[in-house]
Amino acid sequence: MKRILVVLLCAVMVFSLAACKKGEKSKNGGDITSENIKIGFVHIGDSSDKGYTYNHDLGTKNMQKALGLKDEQIINKYNIPESSACDTAIRELVDAGCNIIFATSFGFEDYMIAIAKEYSNIQFCHATGYKAKDTALPNYHNYFGNIFEARYLSGIAAGLKTETNVLGYVAAMPYAEVISGYDAFYLGALSVNPDVTMKVIYTNDWNYPPAEMQAAQALIDAGCDVLGQHCDSTATMTTAEANNAWGVGYNSDMIEAAPNAVLTSAVWDWSKYLIFAVSSLLEGTPIPTDWSGGIKDGVCDVSALNENVIAPGTADAINAARDNIIAGDLQVFKGPLYDNQDNLVVEDGAVFIEPQSAPSFSHVLKGIEIIGG
Amino acid sequence: MNLIRSRSAVEKKEPFVRMVKRSGITWRKAYLIRALALICALLTGALIILLLGHNPVSVYADMIKGSFGSRISRIETIKIAIPLLGSSLCVALAFKMKFWNIGAEGQILAGAIAASYIALFHHQSMPGPLLLIFMFLVAVLAGGLWGLIPAVFKARFNINETLFTLMFNYIALGFINYLQNGPWKEIPGGFPKIAMFAFDARLPKVFGVHIGWIIVLALVFLVYGYMKYTKHGYEISVVGESSNTALYAGMNVRKIIIRTMFISGAIAGLVGFMQVSGSDYTLTNYTANGVGFTAITVAWLSKLNPLIMVAVSAFLAILQKGSNRIQTDFKIPASAASLLTGTILFFMLGCEFFITYKLIFRKGQKNGRNR
Repeated sequence: MKRILVVLLCAVMVFSLAACKKGEKSKNGGDITSENIKIGFVHIGDSSDKGYTYNHDLGTKNMQKALGLKDEQIINKYNIPESSACDTAIRELVDAGCNIIFATSFGFEDYMIAIAKEYSNIQFCHATGYKAKDTALPNYHNYFGNIFEARYLSGIAAGLKTETNVLGYVAAMPYAEVISGYDAFYLGALSVNPDVTMKVIYTNDWNYPPAEMQAAQALIDAGCDVLGQHCDSTATMTTAEANNAWGVGYNSDMIEAAPNAVLTSAVWDWSKYLIFAVSSLLEGTPIPTDWSGGIKDGVCDVSALNENVIAPGTADAINAARDNIIAGDLQVFKGPLYDNQDNLVVEDGAVFIEPQSAPSFSHVLKGIEIIGG
Repeated sequence: MNLIRSRSAVEKKEPFVRMVKRSGITWRKAYLIRALALICALLTGALIILLLGHNPVSVYADMIKGSFGSRISRIETIKIAIPLLGSSLCVALAFKMKFWNIGAEGQILAGAIAASYIALFHHQSMPGPLLLIFMFLVAVLAGGLWGLIPAVFKARFNINETLFTLMFNYIALGFINYLQNGPWKEIPGGFPKIAMFAFDARLPKVFGVHIGWIIVLALVFLVYGYMKYTKHGYEISVVGESSNTALYAGMNVRKIIIRTMFISGAIAGLVGFMQVSGSDYTLTNYTANGVGFTAITVAWLSKLNPLIMVAVSAFLAILQKGSNRIQTDFKIPASAASLLTGTILFFMLGCEFFITYKLIFRKGQKNGRNR
């Protein structure tokens, strides 16, 4: 018996050694071309969320197609928590020979900056972060977009549809990216429905479907009939559908998940930035420190409207607002704006212009009630 | 009618299969059963991989490569094993006493919170090495106290420690959530996260891995010696076998329960310190990340023997690291990867049943007896 075990163990060891050898590829320098470029991604979830990571993955696939890259040139790290596991994931991508690495969740930023300092020949791009301009590293970049423009448009659909005049919103975390999102959503609704108010519940997690479901249910029980969301999964939309309520999705087109509830979704097209950043590297032009794009760049928009569910006139109202946003005639955060403590936060005639790619507008506006906060 | 009745009466007497405790089993046979279980586990895993549409041999090879293949992956595998081994030592001490400490997770977090408090708010007031020693001490104390509370309630009022320690995990986790969203938030009004530690408050590295690996290995020998060669260790095992016997022998059972749980919690607190100061450099919801529960598996697989725990926690770390790797390389969904590791663990734990018991089938009765 012992002998068999010894033989087995030896076999495993030889086997693993052979496997290791195959993995070690020479990492010689030289020019980066579309033939040899390697691109890494670090994601907090995986595409089964049908929301944030799914949609970012979609952007990756479009980028791959547009630049004609092979499957093995793209390495994805999924389900990486915002802890030292992220440090490891990025280092493994460096080890695998990646020339440019994208990290897509806010909490990855500090770990990524530390590694960017060590590897000046690799480009690091971080979505939703804000520290690039302060670190002044030539190889560390932030990117995001004016998603508040798309939120505003999706709010119009919600404001026209609501019958109770109370909107609900399932929000991930109490900070600027999320707050500015639901502010814009609410302002969009308010622009077509002056009687509308909104209730918000935080889940304190980006992707935790059970909590999202409970929050959605609580909002519906509190009288909300159209739900918006800022969290990674589709649980809010499916809960709305189960309660014969309506919803507005986020990240990806969520009609498939709840065909009788979803009016439209505020969606990202990340391929715009991914193509831009990767081709910049291939052409040898610098990647901007802090990149942002809006509706007019095709970075964000609302998805196709659900004709069976939307209120009449929705399409016209949204199209008009979109044209005005593109023309620069409509500003989302235009004064006078009051917060929910009745303080004037944007003066009459003034406009809050986002100074960086990551949203920084963090006043909860008048008419919005935070439940449990 | 009669026939049926009499048949069922016979069945009651002779069930189709009976469990019989083995009176003694040679170590050879025990290892044979374990080896067979491992092979069964790998074959079942191979079946899952085949169903997912991949080649089992290359997926297994990739798991091994993913955990040993490069310097970085070796470092990461060790980084996973360190808290696992530490927490297993923590639960093993309690389990030896048949005190079901399901609260290692919370005790880790209690230690982590205490160490973080010093790291975040008092790092300027003392030089680096002293700061680390101070963080170590408060973490050990906090973890110990967190373990002490359920022990006192158990010893005084005989309150169920399983539920008590389990609930305490969620209190600690909730407290971190509160700190993140409130008083310890890095930027007021900003993202709910706690700042990274200053460099003084980070554990130094030895051979690329934070010094925790040396601490935890030293701890293995300490706990082994404590359990095997000291009076305290002897008392723990007597209380575990029968607290009445312990009382009869004149032992102070309450004192033993409270003392042991303090030590158990203190070890977990130390793990918490190593996680925040050596690995994450900050305090998050993920600081413990389930390691306190996985440690229970490690402790059982090792039969509460600290020396075997080194191998078992390394094995589990390899499984975890390897399954992360196959997710990336083969695009195997995370849930399927954990199904795979779960299957392997299921067989490894399940085979312990066949080592303790044997099954006797009705028809094969004679065979069973002959064996």
